[in-house]
Amino acid sequence: MLLKLSLAGMKGKLKDYFVLLSGLVMTISVFYMFQTLSWNTEFIKSNAMIRNIQLVFIVGSVLLSVVTIMYMLYTNTFLLSLRQKEFGMYMMLGAKKKSIKKIMFVETMVIGAASLVIGITVGIGLAFIVGYLLAGQLNITLEGYQSFYLPAVLATFVFFIVVFLFTALINHIKLSRVQVLQLIYSDVHPDEMPIQKKKNSWLILLGLITLCLGYVSLIFMEQLREIGLFAAPTFTTLGTYLLFIGYLPVIVRRIQANKRWTTKGVTSFTFAQLNFRIQGLTKILATVAMLIALGAGAISAGLAFKNSASQMAEMMNVYDVVIKNPNAEEKAILKSVHFTEENQYRFKEDADYTYYLRDDLDNQRPLLLLSDGKKPKFKRVTEALPKGKISLREVKNPEVGQQLSDEWARALWNLQTNYREIKQTIVLDAETYHKIQGQEMLMYIGKSDKFMDYLHEWQEIDMLVLEKEPNLTADDLTSKYSFYNMYSSFTSGTMFMGLFLGIAFLAMMASCLMFKIVSGASKDTSRYQMLRKIGVRRSQLSTSVYKELFIIFLFPAIIGLTHVLIGMNMFSFIILNPYYRIWVPIIIFLIIYSLYYVITVKLYKQIVLPKE
Amino acid sequence: MKSPVVEVCNVQKVYGKKGGNQFKALNDVSFSMQEGEFVGIMGPSGSGKTTLLNVISTLDQVTSGEIKIDNVDITDMGQDELSDFRSQKLGFIFQDFNLLENMTIAENIALPLYLQGTPAKNVDAKVMTVAKRLGIEELLQKYPAEISGGQKQRSAAARALVHEPTVILGDEPTGALDSKNATSLLETMKDLNDRQNVSIMMVTHDAYSASYCQRIIFIQDGKLHKEIHRSSTRELFYKEILDVLAQLGTKNA
Ligand SMILES: Nc1ncnc2c1ncn2[C@@H]1O[C@H](COP(=O)(O)OP(=O)(O)OP(=O)(O)O)[C@@H](O)[C@H]1O
Ligand SMILES: [Mg+2]
Repeated sequence: MLLKLSLAGMKGKLKDYFVLLSGLVMTISVFYMFQTLSWNTEFIKSNAMIRNIQLVFIVGSVLLSVVTIMYMLYTNTFLLSLRQKEFGMYMMLGAKKKSIKKIMFVETMVIGAASLVIGITVGIGLAFIVGYLLAGQLNITLEGYQSFYLPAVLATFVFFIVVFLFTALINHIKLSRVQVLQLIYSDVHPDEMPIQKKKNSWLILLGLITLCLGYVSLIFMEQLREIGLFAAPTFTTLGTYLLFIGYLPVIVRRIQANKRWTTKGVTSFTFAQLNFRIQGLTKILATVAMLIALGAGAISAGLAFKNSASQMAEMMNVYDVVIKNPNAEEKAILKSVHFTEENQYRFKEDADYTYYLRDDLDNQRPLLLLSDGKKPKFKRVTEALPKGKISLREVKNPEVGQQLSDEWARALWNLQTNYREIKQTIVLDAETYHKIQGQEMLMYIGKSDKFMDYLHEWQEIDMLVLEKEPNLTADDLTSKYSFYNMYSSFTSGTMFMGLFLGIAFLAMMASCLMFKIVSGASKDTSRYQMLRKIGVRRSQLSTSVYKELFIIFLFPAIIGLTHVLIGMNMFSFIILNPYYRIWVPIIIFLIIYSLYYVITVKLYKQIVLPKE
Repeated sequence: MKSPVVEVCNVQKVYGKKGGNQFKALNDVSFSMQEGEFVGIMGPSGSGKTTLLNVISTLDQVTSGEIKIDNVDITDMGQDELSDFRSQKLGFIFQDFNLLENMTIAENIALPLYLQGTPAKNVDAKVMTVAKRLGIEELLQKYPAEISGGQKQRSAAARALVHEPTVILGDEPTGALDSKNATSLLETMKDLNDRQNVSIMMVTHDAYSASYCQRIIFIQDGKLHKEIHRSSTRELFYKEILDVLAQLGTKNA
């Protein structure tokens, strides 16, 4: 009987259950997505450039589990809040607590099982779609990546069954403690009272210390090695939660106390509302901050690996193309590229030597790469070339040879196009050069303004070279493009993982925040209605919602991005410059986040400010 | 000379869409209320009292007819104008308190002032004055969840008064209070009416509450049924009200 009643009760709140279920499904599917990579050790080992990648995934799993458990605890409170008034009524009418508890347990487990099945299905779908899209976008083939991966399914299953049992237990305890009256009046006190003047200083202090420890381990990751890999996420996460719990209410209260800002029109309500609910939001916002850090961090890392390929290429060669005797086809391609520098050197060759004309070299002194290990720097060759008449016999004598200056030796070495035909180079004065038998040829070198803008052109040129010289294979080429290509094939796997996980984390973040705000909205409705009644314009209320949610969105974004900015240090031992173009992923993130903010505001407004 | 603050002319209110299930909740209602009057509205459940109060308070729109408050026709105003009108001219006391539980009592009371853009330095003094008048100055820093029902209702009354509205409208303001608290609120309202000449219109079920009014309008089935004025003591008026209610009751039966 009671079961029937409670089923009827559930029907009345289908919308809320939908919110609850979609929140759970999202969590589970993201968790699953993460597991598909995490358990696929073969794939990650063969595709990652990070030696300790396995450890990264273990740490990631732990972090994700913490976040998931926080999220689940929250959804569970929501589930309980949906039902408690009804349960209170049953109990008042004489239902036994025992049977109420039983219903709650069954309900938690049924919802858990349903969301688990749907969640894993959605997870498989998402893993497939994201994997497929990314592979297409990045132009890579993913060998060994499986969107349906049995160990991942099992891991997800076990983890969530345990979590659901755990939450069911919590509900059980909560229901045991609670009084009937508390249940009945549960929606009269929808939020906790704002803390008056409780001292949070020790929380804040502890939070600051742990966060600092976390940051220090992130910055000195290279020295700390495995210790750092564990210390950084542990301390950073702990610090984040402590700071949000301790400090956020204090900040909001400070703002509210500033009468100049908060007494204009409806802002007094906005900040009162914020101050009132911030207490219940701290944990979820800390979770969101962590997810932002993980998501934006993973994407930044992925892109940093991608960028590192071009940077590595820049560190290898000064000139984007080096072509021996460009033919018509090659010349046509070269014409379409905007070069900042183009040089051509006449030379002749025989079986053992390459003879360069001194005047050409002297007139078009090439650039050399000066590397400080971080950024490519260029220097034009300034040293002198061998002077006067050069005796062929002397320079061909292995005992004497030609003594080229250091810079010139390197510059001439750079004029090679492949590893196969490495010949000794000799610089000759015009007279001696012209006496050499054999056809005169041209070595063309060019440097464009942007290597990355012409990838397609470089690729075509490399292909033409291979056509011209059939005895060469792609591996023999020394072109900047071939190097770039090789390096990016190493990095693409890592980049794929970064982007894949980044997308998963951000999706989870979105779901978390959306869930919190939408699930709390129906409780706020009466307040907004009240304000409408006493004469607050709709537009003012709308502004109030924008403001309130803006502040709620702001804090985790700031903290999350700070984590990313500091955390990118972690990759400095493997990527040349992890901060190279870091603003790109950050701006992408900010755009997505703002869009998401606007959507949340719209959703929230739809609930609290229904159309008139 | 007294002028009408509220004029209701031939007001009709039809619920439901055309062609659908229509229900005439107000049928050709006309009356007016003078400045400084304390008017009660009574009638059986479902007779249209709340509907009447809602259209007067601009929360709902009439189907036809005209309502003027302070000589301003409110039936053809836009939503924003109506909001401003409410925040400036009207004060509300609802049955279920309707305080914002996320703000302290002081903040709740100050809200109408903030909405009107009263400078912050004047707000505190005004809040204090009205709180003293209603005897809740001790409660100002508390949250609604921390005070009793009667105290909440007095706080709601303070909020309705603080911006010195033209009319105070109440839908069963004493409905959720025990007799002691109800009496205290009614005394306060009467006092405001007597001394400060505040115009009050109140819907009530309860003859005792109604006996504090100067005039009572009875409605039945959406129509004006009868109007009685208080001419002598409250006790006699109370009896008179009971008589009318009895009449209404027998008619219904
Ligand atoms: N939104 C609505 N849609 C349709 N009918 C409505 C609506 N609101 C009220 N009614 C109907 O209009 C009539 C008058 O309702 P109203 O709420 O004004 O009654 P009331 O006199 O305030 O009753 P009570 O004393 O019980 O509060 C009732 O028959 C009610 O069913
Ligand atoms: Mg009513």
